[in-house]
Amino acid sequence: MNACFHCDEPIPPGVHLSARLPIGEQAVCCGGCRAAAEWIAGLGLADYYTLRSSPGLRAAPAHDFTSWDRPELERLHVRKQGEDRADVVVLVEGLHCAACAWLIERALGVQPGVHGVGVNVTARRVALSFDPQHTKLSTLLGALARLGYVPHPLTADAIDCVRQRETRDALKRLLVAGLGAMQAMMYAVALYAGVFDGIDPAVRDFFRWLGLLVATPVVLYSAQPFFFGALREWRTRRLSMDTPVALAIALIYLASIVATVRGGHEIYFDSVSMFVLFLLAGRTIAMRARHRAGDVVDAFARLQPTLAERRTPDGFESVGVHELIAGDRVRVAAGAAIPADGILVGPACRLDESMLSGESAALPRLPGATVTAGCLVVDGPVEIEVRRVGADTVLAGIVRMVTRAAGARPWLARLADARAARFVVRVFALTALTALAWLWIDPSRAFPAALAVLVVSCPCAFALAVPAALTRAVAVLAHRGVLVVDADSLEALARADCFVFDKTGTLTTPSVDAAAVEVVRGTCAQALAIAAALEQGNTHPLAAALRECAGAADLPVATNLRQVANAGVEGAVAGVRYRLGRDDFAASPEAAHDDASRSDALVLSDESGVVARFPIVEQLRTGAAAMIRALQGAGITCEIVSGDAPARVAIIARELGIDRWQASARPEDKLAHLAALRARGRFVAMVGDGVNDAPILAGADVAVAVGNGAALAQAASGILLPGGRLDAIVEARDIARRMLRILGQNLNWALAYNLSVVPLAAAGFVPPWLAALGMSASSIVVILNSLRIGRIVPTSPAHPASVSTIDPEQDRSREAIA
Amino acid sequence: MNIILLLIPLSIVLLALAVWAFFWAVNHAQFDDLDTPALTPLAEDAVPAPVAKEPREP
Repeated sequence: MNACFHCDEPIPPGVHLSARLPIGEQAVCCGGCRAAAEWIAGLGLADYYTLRSSPGLRAAPAHDFTSWDRPELERLHVRKQGEDRADVVVLVEGLHCAACAWLIERALGVQPGVHGVGVNVTARRVALSFDPQHTKLSTLLGALARLGYVPHPLTADAIDCVRQRETRDALKRLLVAGLGAMQAMMYAVALYAGVFDGIDPAVRDFFRWLGLLVATPVVLYSAQPFFFGALREWRTRRLSMDTPVALAIALIYLASIVATVRGGHEIYFDSVSMFVLFLLAGRTIAMRARHRAGDVVDAFARLQPTLAERRTPDGFESVGVHELIAGDRVRVAAGAAIPADGILVGPACRLDESMLSGESAALPRLPGATVTAGCLVVDGPVEIEVRRVGADTVLAGIVRMVTRAAGARPWLARLADARAARFVVRVFALTALTALAWLWIDPSRAFPAALAVLVVSCPCAFALAVPAALTRAVAVLAHRGVLVVDADSLEALARADCFVFDKTGTLTTPSVDAAAVEVVRGTCAQALAIAAALEQGNTHPLAAALRECAGAADLPVATNLRQVANAGVEGAVAGVRYRLGRDDFAASPEAAHDDASRSDALVLSDESGVVARFPIVEQLRTGAAAMIRALQGAGITCEIVSGDAPARVAIIARELGIDRWQASARPEDKLAHLAALRARGRFVAMVGDGVNDAPILAGADVAVAVGNGAALAQAASGILLPGGRLDAIVEARDIARRMLRILGQNLNWALAYNLSVVPLAAAGFVPPWLAALGMSASSIVVILNSLRIGRIVPTSPAHPASVSTIDPEQDRSREAIA
Repeated sequence: MNIILLLIPLSIVLLALAVWAFFWAVNHAQFDDLDTPALTPLAEDAVPAPVAKEPREP
């Protein structure tokens, strides 16, 4: 199979396009990719193709960014630095590697009126500084989109700042703790040597004061998060690891100060600095992983639409959401998010309000019902009268909440937290008991022994056991292009023993065979334009295929659009009523049965009959066959449940070696099927495109969405496979299973460690410095063990095309090693 | 042994300098992105760009 030079996706049959480049003609899959490749080469930037480590996104068809130029929207996103300088930061989809950054910087840098371009791959942001008198923001964003990187407005700017500060603070704290610990250790070595070889008390005191000097910033600055954490835990009356940690740090530090000033027996400045260093190191690793993988906030930023279609006396205009005022009427397409709180004007529709209520099934709403910004319209388009906008909307409140809480903790982590809290209570009790017992036996040893119990018992090993494994797994997956939206779904993925696939848009990618369009009346271009107009704003893969086939030609405006789930769409174009969809919906029912092969086509009809047929060519997604083989090899049942005709589902099922399939299934059937499987005790994973099957995805134990992040996918599934790499599911499953195993090991280790050392410490056999070492070491063991996740599974090759050749044998052996 | 009275304070001054330098670097975005800048020297300097050819519309 030939792969496109630019985006590396397979070239659909019948497409013979090539890009003229300095290195010769290269085959490409579509006009967009040809334009992108030629443009890149034309700028002298062909190096991109040698520098990049993963293929580019399929070049997006022309986007319209003119609405970004509107002053109302501009005010929100663009910072004016003067007459001839303005800055804007946008979130960009599809940034994978440093080569992308290089390409964007060069390609946009040569645009007239651009002062500077900064790209941050880690944060997936592009900062543009331009001259508003010489160029327009929309031109620059259009150029960015032509390269294949679709820009999104950054509504979560404030959150971004918080995150940046958090990262920087953590780095600084870590460095101070590291340097402080090294110095304190050095002085401590001198003191230990002094104990054996004899030391002048003056020199000894000098070293102790030095230890105090270097440990003070470590305790007062680096350890701040622990003290604040303990304070927070104290206020909410919920014990976790911060309390004993902060208490131990404070006790060790104060005891050492007293010993230094009064010439006491033992000082622990080295222990306390090391303790802080190890704990901070663990925290920083976890935070990095969270930042890299989580991106919850980004998902929210995308959930909140930035543009809305406002009704004006003569049609609809695209405006920024922030321009809307109460009383405006807006149109919302199927699969899109509602821009503002308001009242549903009509027609009746179903809304996915899972973001608000957690209720995943779409709910029917009648005209006159209140609707909330951010909810997704499942079937539309609908019209809404705006009541509340911007910061007053419920969604804005939720975003604020997310900012505060930094996301909910997965229940596995909550479980571990609860265990850690119980453990902490026991540790405190034990510490008090030890102190009392020793006061009775030998008061001079009471303090060191109690301290040793407090320090050696490691609630952090407990508290870290789960989040370390989870965050590592999420980070590893994010690195391989699998986004875990909801960490709980990882556990579910590991346990899933039955995978159900949707067909169109999931296992296959449809495209319209432009050469074989059958036109009954009018011209091919007209028919395509009407069809594309009807499908405007629809997120079904077939609709996208039609729009792509119609290209960027001027589309007529379709009105009275109405989606009929699983059948098609109807609407009026230029006063004529059209239907577009499956044979039995668009054409008269009896016409549907005259020719079986005809069912492969989308039919466009008006009141007087069929206008055109658009044959659909379906192509298996890269890696689909390999994935199914690998899953079946691991003993997992694979099924296809599709709304498509039986004949076509059978072909795909045979091709993939799946013997259980169900065709012509309506969404209700699919849900019922999932429910039946679950009732039989199966753990079901549903793989879909996340757009048209959102409610069905929600009916499974774990939902995996394939495709390019439509708003709906962000909201409806726990795991996302952007870029459509199906074989990543196998990898994700391996990693999830490994995570569960490692998580168990971590918990067992923490338990075994504490059970074995706490009695020793209570008996007074463990000096506090050894206790601090033991505690840190046990945390480090947990972290290192968690880092093993994703190490044995071979790193994924840069090109997805070569991944598709994974053979099941190899996969099984991988399983065995793991 | 008295030399330590000079050397140790000196080492602490150096330590403080190192910490200050690191804080400066962190505050000036030197650690915000550790991936992209590594590739910058590999790329050739921007050729005097040919007039940006507008791509054909697909």
